[in-house]
Amino acid sequence: MSEKDVVLKAENIHKSYSGNNVLNGISFEVKRGETKIICGPSGSGKSTVLRCLNLLTRPDEGHVWLEGTEVTSASTDINKIRQKIGFVFQEFNLFNHFNALRNVSIGLEKVKGVKKDEAKKIALEQLARVGLQEHAHKYPAELSGGQKQRVAIARARAINPVIIFYDEPTSALDPQLIGEVLEVMKGLAKERVTSLVVTHEMGFAQSVGDEMLFMVDGRIVERGPPQELIMRCKYDVTKKFFESIQELYGREK
Amino acid sequence: MMGFWESFLSALLQGWVITLGMLVLAIPISVILGLLLGMARVYGNRPVSLLAAGFVGLFRGLPLVVTLLIIFFALPKIGLYFSPFWAAVTGFIFCSGAYQSEYVRGAIRSIDVGQSLAARSLGMSRFKEVIHIILPQAFRRAFPGISNEIVYLILYSSLAYVVGVSEIFGISKHFNSLYFKSIEIFSTAAVIYLIMATVASLGFRKLENKLRIPGLEITC
Repeated sequence: MSEKDVVLKAENIHKSYSGNNVLNGISFEVKRGETKIICGPSGSGKSTVLRCLNLLTRPDEGHVWLEGTEVTSASTDINKIRQKIGFVFQEFNLFNHFNALRNVSIGLEKVKGVKKDEAKKIALEQLARVGLQEHAHKYPAELSGGQKQRVAIARARAINPVIIFYDEPTSALDPQLIGEVLEVMKGLAKERVTSLVVTHEMGFAQSVGDEMLFMVDGRIVERGPPQELIMRCKYDVTKKFFESIQELYGREK
Repeated sequence: MMGFWESFLSALLQGWVITLGMLVLAIPISVILGLLLGMARVYGNRPVSLLAAGFVGLFRGLPLVVTLLIIFFALPKIGLYFSPFWAAVTGFIFCSGAYQSEYVRGAIRSIDVGQSLAARSLGMSRFKEVIHIILPQAFRRAFPGISNEIVYLILYSSLAYVVGVSEIFGISKHFNSLYFKSIEIFSTAAVIYLIMATVASLGFRKLENKLRIPGLEITC
């Protein structure tokens, strides 16, 4: 694997909040076309990892590179970097005063300087890809949770990022709405859209995940292909975690 | 010789024009000042936010009538001269802007932090985030408060008489001292204020409906 194929590289990321160590030296790489899964118990620092990578939270220590540019360098324009990272939030965070179409086109227009008509066209295409072209003129409050998250995915995709981060994208959804979001994500993973996914959806992880990182207390304690990690984890905490998840969701094939 | 009603109503009409003149200047400028002060308090660095807080604290802490008297009678002593009209307009802007900034500040603070995270994660600068994402939502939340404050401003424009502006109330007081027809005079003035406040309230209700976005309704 050449250096060129590494889209994102994190090295020794540390973060603490008022004396509490949340991340204790996180290092990993994401290669082009890869779908990388991060999972672990609540409070293990999964979401903080994502936010440290695009500096929504600034890490105390460590380095991040995106396509060879050091994100954590003081001379890097972070707004330029963020345009290359799509971010999908657990709570959707759609802009409440914009309809679905404008939610998707606003980044193109105001950040990338794409002309209004062109931005609208791209936004409509992206909405069509998540099956929501008919809902383009609805406001977030008029959409279901699953639809909101699909709009959020279209919004993240529209700026044509080199990688998409998903921060527990289905955790705020009713069970019957999870499927439609996972379908969209699976579709993207199969198109080899590079992604980094914090999730507890083991079915999703096993079907499209290339590697899974298991985090406990701000450290990556195990890593490997999802199927293998779930079946043959080394540590008790990992085993217990997967058992409790399987109990909750029913055995996944 | 002109009769009482004839001369009173024609003077009142002139007073009404002056009242409207003060309001046409004071309303938009005080709204802008309120937005700026509110933003300064939320987004400004420490000196800026302290300065804004000091301004708001001062003009919310003084009775408007005292503010007006200070501007008109005390400031000339340090070389700042205002005509009655401009002293009143300035006082209105400072007072109303200070009050409005509190609605703006509260509204900005009420916007979920996720909106900001989403904007920044798209690569928007802080400035673009505030202009395109936060303010349009915050303004809608602050709107009922701001419009309420504007209705107050319409009514307390009558205080301009203390610095000698010949607006509706000033004219009325003057005519009362000439004719002693207090019932006729003050109830006419009252009706004019009532009409202005009612028209403004209805107008704001309409505008609020126009600005309404599903999910951003304000319960008030």
